Amino acid sequence: MSPKPTPEAESRAWTWGSLVPYMRPDAKWYALALVLTPAVAALNVAQPRLLKAVIDAHVTGGSPEGLQRDAGYFLAAVVGAFLMEGVYTYVTALAAENTILRLRHALVRQVLSLSQRFFEGQPTGQLMSRATSDIDALNDALTSGSISLALDVLTMVGVLVSMFLLDWKLALVLCLLGPPIAGVIEFARRRMRSLFAEIRDSLASLNAYVAERVAGIEVIQLYGLELRVTERFAELNARYRDSNVTNNFYDAGLYAFIDGIASVCIAVMLYWGATSGSEPALIVGLVVAFNGYIDQLFRPLREISGKITFIQRAATALDKIFWLLGVDDRITAGDRGLAEAKGHLRIRDLRFRYRDDAPWILDGIDLEVQPGEVVAVVGRTGAGKSTLVRLLARVHDGYQGNIEVDGVELSRLRPQDIRRAVGTVRQEVQLFRDTLRFNVTLDDPSLDPARVQAAVAQSGLDRIAARLPEGMGHVIRDRGSDLSAGEGQIVSLARTLARDPALVILDEATASVDPVSERLLQEAIERLFVDRTCLVIAHRLSTITRADRIVVLHAGKVAEVGSHAELLERDGMYAALYREGLQAGGELEPAPTTPKPGAA
Amino acid sequence: MALLRAIGRALEHLGNRGFPHSTRFVKEYVLPLWRWYLAGTLTVLLTNWLSVLVPTLMADALDTMRAGEPGAAADALKIGVLGLSIIVVRTLSRVWFFTPGRLAESQLRERFFSKLVRLQPSFYARYPTGDLLSRATSDMSFARALAGFAFMQAFNVVGTLVMGVGKMLSLSPALTLTVAVPCAVAYWGVSRATPQLMARQRVAQKQLGALADELLSTFQGVATVQGFCAEDQFIARLDAKAADLRESNLAMTKLRVAAFPLLTVAGGVATWGLLAFGAPAVRSGQLSAGQLAAFIALVGFIVIPMRMLGWLLPVFQRAEASLERIWLVVDEAVDRPDAGIAKVPPASGPTLTFTNLRFAFGDAPDRPVLDGVTATIPGGSTVGVYGPVGSGKSTLLRLLSRLVNPPPGTIFVDGVDIRELDLNLWRQQLCVVAQTPFLFSESVQENIGFGASREAVMAAARAAALGPDLETLPAGLDTVVGERGITLSGGQRQRVALARGLLRPASLVLLDDVLSAVDHKTEHELLDTLRARSEATRIVVSHRMSALVHTDLILVLDGGRLVDQGPHAELVLRPGPYRDAWETQRESEAAAAEATA
Repeated sequence: MSPKPTPEAESRAWTWGSLVPYMRPDAKWYALALVLTPAVAALNVAQPRLLKAVIDAHVTGGSPEGLQRDAGYFLAAVVGAFLMEGVYTYVTALAAENTILRLRHALVRQVLSLSQRFFEGQPTGQLMSRATSDIDALNDALTSGSISLALDVLTMVGVLVSMFLLDWKLALVLCLLGPPIAGVIEFARRRMRSLFAEIRDSLASLNAYVAERVAGIEVIQLYGLELRVTERFAELNARYRDSNVTNNFYDAGLYAFIDGIASVCIAVMLYWGATSGSEPALIVGLVVAFNGYIDQLFRPLREISGKITFIQRAATALDKIFWLLGVDDRITAGDRGLAEAKGHLRIRDLRFRYRDDAPWILDGIDLEVQPGEVVAVVGRTGAGKSTLVRLLARVHDGYQGNIEVDGVELSRLRPQDIRRAVGTVRQEVQLFRDTLRFNVTLDDPSLDPARVQAAVAQSGLDRIAARLPEGMGHVIRDRGSDLSAGEGQIVSLARTLARDPALVILDEATASVDPVSERLLQEAIERLFVDRTCLVIAHRLSTITRADRIVVLHAGKVAEVGSHAELLERDGMYAALYREGLQAGGELEPAPTTPKPGAA
Repeated sequence: MALLRAIGRALEHLGNRGFPHSTRFVKEYVLPLWRWYLAGTLTVLLTNWLSVLVPTLMADALDTMRAGEPGAAADALKIGVLGLSIIVVRTLSRVWFFTPGRLAESQLRERFFSKLVRLQPSFYARYPTGDLLSRATSDMSFARALAGFAFMQAFNVVGTLVMGVGKMLSLSPALTLTVAVPCAVAYWGVSRATPQLMARQRVAQKQLGALADELLSTFQGVATVQGFCAEDQFIARLDAKAADLRESNLAMTKLRVAAFPLLTVAGGVATWGLLAFGAPAVRSGQLSAGQLAAFIALVGFIVIPMRMLGWLLPVFQRAEASLERIWLVVDEAVDRPDAGIAKVPPASGPTLTFTNLRFAFGDAPDRPVLDGVTATIPGGSTVGVYGPVGSGKSTLLRLLSRLVNPPPGTIFVDGVDIRELDLNLWRQQLCVVAQTPFLFSESVQENIGFGASREAVMAAARAAALGPDLETLPAGLDTVVGERGITLSGGQRQRVALARGLLRPASLVLLDDVLSAVDHKTEHELLDTLRARSEATRIVVSHRMSALVHTDLILVLDGGRLVDQGPHAELVLRPGPYRDAWETQRESEAAAAEATA
């Protein structure tokens, strides 16, 4: 149903060039870094040569004249390289920080544009990894990886050139060591790349497992599952540990190899010097210079294993990031505007199923809501009520038939116009850890403060706020744990009313709530019905009886339509539902104090 | 063993000097792995020794060559062998430190988790999930950095400095000073910058946490964000937090750029000093040219571990802070008053007696949730509990399931204090279905059965009226439900949770407002299923009266007090909250009829 995030299995949907749009605005910083790169490299390469010059002239040459001056040149190169490298590193970091800021921004925007169907197959934890650790991996690659890798490579090239100029035969002999060294590094790099994917995966499953067990701790304890989950955890933990232990072996080996091979190079150099009959007077200076060069070749090589690690991590991370950026599972936004939202809704022969091989959930629904009218939809569990709401809220697309809002097909309307025309109060309340005020306005600058005020009063939220010391400034705790279920619903209602939609789709929560908020909710719904067009998925009899018309859904079809009295008289499905409620004796909620005029 | 005792004493000393948590970690997890660490230490020191031999042999070779004597080639070959040995020995040294580091981490993490799943809900009320997660992940990785990287580097740094400086001193104490002075100055600079950097890093870490929180709540609320076209506002909030983080990161970069290359510069200055003072020494014959070259090579050798030194102390400090957070959880007491008593609970519907039950949560001892409740629930009966929100209904159930332990002498099961019952056996006797069911993102089968047979799970699913739903699910019982069961409807989730409870041959059934998410027909079916279990004692909490009418006895709670009790027929006859609720309902029935007449 939903696409599985298995970028490993697919071909790479990106190249490093895909990053260019995110880097371009910082082109000047990247350019400055690039300009500084050869300068820093040149100063680094110059140092061993200056060192050699001092040794040749003043140590083995024995001349006391000009020692301070020649040594001073060397010192100047050291200090100059320090200053320039500082600027270079800072500029690189600045550019990289800006780049990842843009990429994260794009990623969040993309995630927020995807359809609900996508989220059903995508645990939040994975999306979080994309926007946090994967983005961080790219930052590491940009700052400590790729650009400083460029400096390393340039330095190494400069070193090699300088070595050839000093003594091409010795340089050539040392170069013969190059291919085997490169071969070993490449071998380790390949092994480690696949291990990184395994490490990331195993860590992600480990974290997800812990998070879910912590959330479900009561079930674990009530069902005595402590041992069962601990054993499963131990398996995941061991998988993570073992993949790291294997990786450490390659990591340690690579580090040690580069460390030891530097000594082998010195050995080759000395052996060459001893057997090739080179000039003994110059050998000390040459060895010191080459020693410096070998260090300059191997210091980056040693760090290259780390930098390659960063780039590999970034590559794995970018696989996932660009996969996510490329997902096109979204509800197509229409482009039609709506001059004036009146709240007229017409549904014609509406059919919908979740998969092509699944049964129809909605199987030809016809329904019209006139402006100012209140229509209640009732039906048993599974009749299609929730699906109808999801279609009207544009959570799901791909319906057959028509849903027309003020004469325009819903799927062709612009999202902003849909919001203006249709406000949905969903059963599942989503609250943010911020103030009550924010939870109503969501910081929407286009909201009229007076309208927000009115919505707060109309929903009864003002009375909840009045009980809190900070009022509307009260900060809701994690997932609204400090509000009762009913209070959450009231916040949700206020949020919708603040947008002043012409048509309200109210999916009444089935869960019973505490009497205090129940009364507030009842009153709010009563006020809502007086001045607004409403389609209510109703569970309370008090709500149902206040509706102008009742539509009974059954198996995805409209089974009955009529007023409460008419439907009771017909003695069909509605009457059966109603009697079940009455006989059970509990469902009925406090009565309407003033029956809706005109309903009688 | 004497060595271990000596290490033990040294740790004792360290433990008293500000690293008690790390000391404990070392004692409990690192020392048992001492064979690894011993091998690692020996190989690290061996590596350092081999590495110092290289410049010495190089000096020899150069001087022999300059003197035109034979023997340089043999020295060169020795250096080659040393190089190859270094590869092997250094690999082993790193593996032998990093592997036990991973082992210690994984053992500690397992202990942490197994403790976590045993801790009572009151513990979870004190720690947000995100905080516990970061203890299980990032704090663990700091503990591992201590046990692996930091220990290895500590030996490596000490070994390299001792051997490198020792070699220098043997060559020329005066020139050693020209190396030591710039290195000491640079180290002083780095060690001053490091705490500032760490402070910045902590700020950045907090900002990263804030950004992650904001991301999480945005993603979790995505339906609302989209439904209200609030994408721009939420992205703006995220951008602001990301910008804070960027500022901190750049400030850290500035510090790094200024401080950390200092040691490299010091190496250059030291080399310059060696040239300026060493060249005259060579001319005057105090030092050979080869020895000066070896000296220059040794500078490079000691600068690298000095750079590490700047990083070591912060790693120790972070590990100490992290381990404190880990121990806090590991040391948390599990509330198990049955330990050592462990009486076997009755196998069939027990009689429950509440004797002057008063209960308040630890954080608010003056506000009792239940106050002076005295009642008896006869074995095998069905009892309803009625009361408004906050009346203590749910708490009563939580005390019975011992998610929270009641005070001693307040709840008796067939005459035995509930606290003395073996907790595991007691919970096997329970069928608890909570108001908001929790589902794991696994198959429906696993969510109901937790390893039970397919037939048993199927039977339980049918009993919970889940049969028709299973047919609509893509893979029936094998359907993997999304995070928290998101792919199921609220009613389906509740029925899965109910099936989970029905699977056990429970002697006590506790239903906390379970029937709120189903329609009346389903409610009747479910109640019938439960009534069929006549051997069990059943307690049904609800504010839906339909669920209470047919119970044998109803306890009416208000503000934590038992204000009334009796069967439905009696309660509706006397004034009180129960009759009020019943009356309201009758009126509503009449009013509804009137409104539609």
